[in-house]
Amino acid sequence: MENTLLVGLSRQMVLERQMDVVANNVANVTTNGYKADKSLFAEYLKSGAHEDNFVGKDRAVSYVLDSGTFKDFSQGPTELTKNPLDVAIDGAGFLVVQTPAGERYTRDGGLQINNQGQLVTAAGDQVLGGSGPIVFQPTDHDVSIAADGNITVLEGINRIDSVRGKLRLVSFAQAQALLKEGSNLYSAGTGTAAQPDIVSKVRQGFVEKSNVNSVAEMSRMIEVTRAYTQISTLLQQQSDLHKTAIEKLADVPA
Amino acid sequence: MRALYTAATGMAAQELNVQVISNNIANMRTTGYKKQRAAFQDLIYDHVRRVGAQASDQGTVLPVGVDIGGGVKTVGTPRLMSQGTLAQTGNDLDIAIRGEGFFKIQMPDGTFTYTRDGSFQMDATGRVVNAQGNPVQPTITIPQNSSGLAINAQGQVTVTLPGSTTPTTVGQIGLTRFINKAGLQPIGDNLFTDTPASGAPQDGIANVDGYGDMQQSNLEQANVEAVSEISDLIAAQRAYEMNAKVVSAADQMLQSTSALFR
Repeated sequence: MENTLLVGLSRQMVLERQMDVVANNVANVTTNGYKADKSLFAEYLKSGAHEDNFVGKDRAVSYVLDSGTFKDFSQGPTELTKNPLDVAIDGAGFLVVQTPAGERYTRDGGLQINNQGQLVTAAGDQVLGGSGPIVFQPTDHDVSIAADGNITVLEGINRIDSVRGKLRLVSFAQAQALLKEGSNLYSAGTGTAAQPDIVSKVRQGFVEKSNVNSVAEMSRMIEVTRAYTQISTLLQQQSDLHKTAIEKLADVPA
Repeated sequence: MRALYTAATGMAAQELNVQVISNNIANMRTTGYKKQRAAFQDLIYDHVRRVGAQASDQGTVLPVGVDIGGGVKTVGTPRLMSQGTLAQTGNDLDIAIRGEGFFKIQMPDGTFTYTRDGSFQMDATGRVVNAQGNPVQPTITIPQNSSGLAINAQGQVTVTLPGSTTPTTVGQIGLTRFINKAGLQPIGDNLFTDTPASGAPQDGIANVDGYGDMQQSNLEQANVEAVSEISDLIAAQRAYEMNAKVVSAADQMLQSTSALFR
């Protein structure tokens, strides 16, 4: 008899999680290179009682379970910033970043130069080129990043470009298996080896914005709130039903 | 309910975003001002069901996991050090730098600060000083009653002394570079100080070795573009509103739960 309550509870818990996912997407609506999360649900079957207790066949009860959040890796809009150290990746590629915990991957192309002249992310982690970190010399100016990631500069009074390295771009056969680590970084788990990406193009002077579709997130938010309220009403009615039953059945006539 | 706190991080981030944008707009006419922008990153994730976890002893793995993120954080407000446009002023001691480098200014306490604002003046003793009266390095004194003050692209200052027909060089204004100029710390008054992030200052001469050249009688305008600031402002305001909506939606969900108690 308590199935309504428990099924309702399973739905509400999942809706709360979905709301958390929506809230995280909305909070990251201006985070460069952010990829939106979407929720997936699964039915979880559990037989209600033993079959012998009923004349007819007892039906299984369906609970709901959140089975996953998949990452929407679609291209985010690119914004022109004219900053020579901003790069947007056109394609499925990722930049490779060296963190204290190992190699990580990012789509956030708002890059900087640190005090040693190395190309770093906004958090200060080295961005890796084909052969280790990319290092600029003190007299370098007019940084130019080609579509294939090749970085050239004018050094001092030279009129001929000097090569400073080539951005390492990688892609993954199963990008869904990447783990979001926060700080705009992804880590590759087992079975997801990074492969060199020669298809993606680098666009200098642009940044890729978050691919969160704010209209869709707002409608999903309303949908979640309404569904949650509906279940609450259902639980309320179930509770009323119990109350009435107890009152009526236990009413001993004087 | 985590959504409440997640949305709160979003609101805080957008508030900071608006602060940065409004500072850019307020300094749209500040000589040598370099615009800033807020850089955001997502917060740490709670991996409720880890992607790639073993789903059976047959070696099948979960193709997707359940990752719940905690919101957004501000990672920095990097400064965009691009060249501002030059505006002609006709004033002899206005200098704009075209290219890399900063003017070096000596503060009253003996320390050095750096600026792109080249609107210089002469003080009572004839020294070339900035708007706060602090001398430009190396210190240059303009002799009294001299005329025809000229500053060439290398920063050499020449004047014509009374009774002479040929110009005399009285000094050379230097430039200073940093390997990471975005790492300089702003201290107000259009001045920056060096930090461990900017690297050590490298003094040099204008128009040599990649240092920019000097343009007399010009001032460098701020590199703020009104159109992009306004569109950023609108986007930030909308993002703030959306985060506020998430707070009220989460609140509504909590309310419907608490209404179950009677």
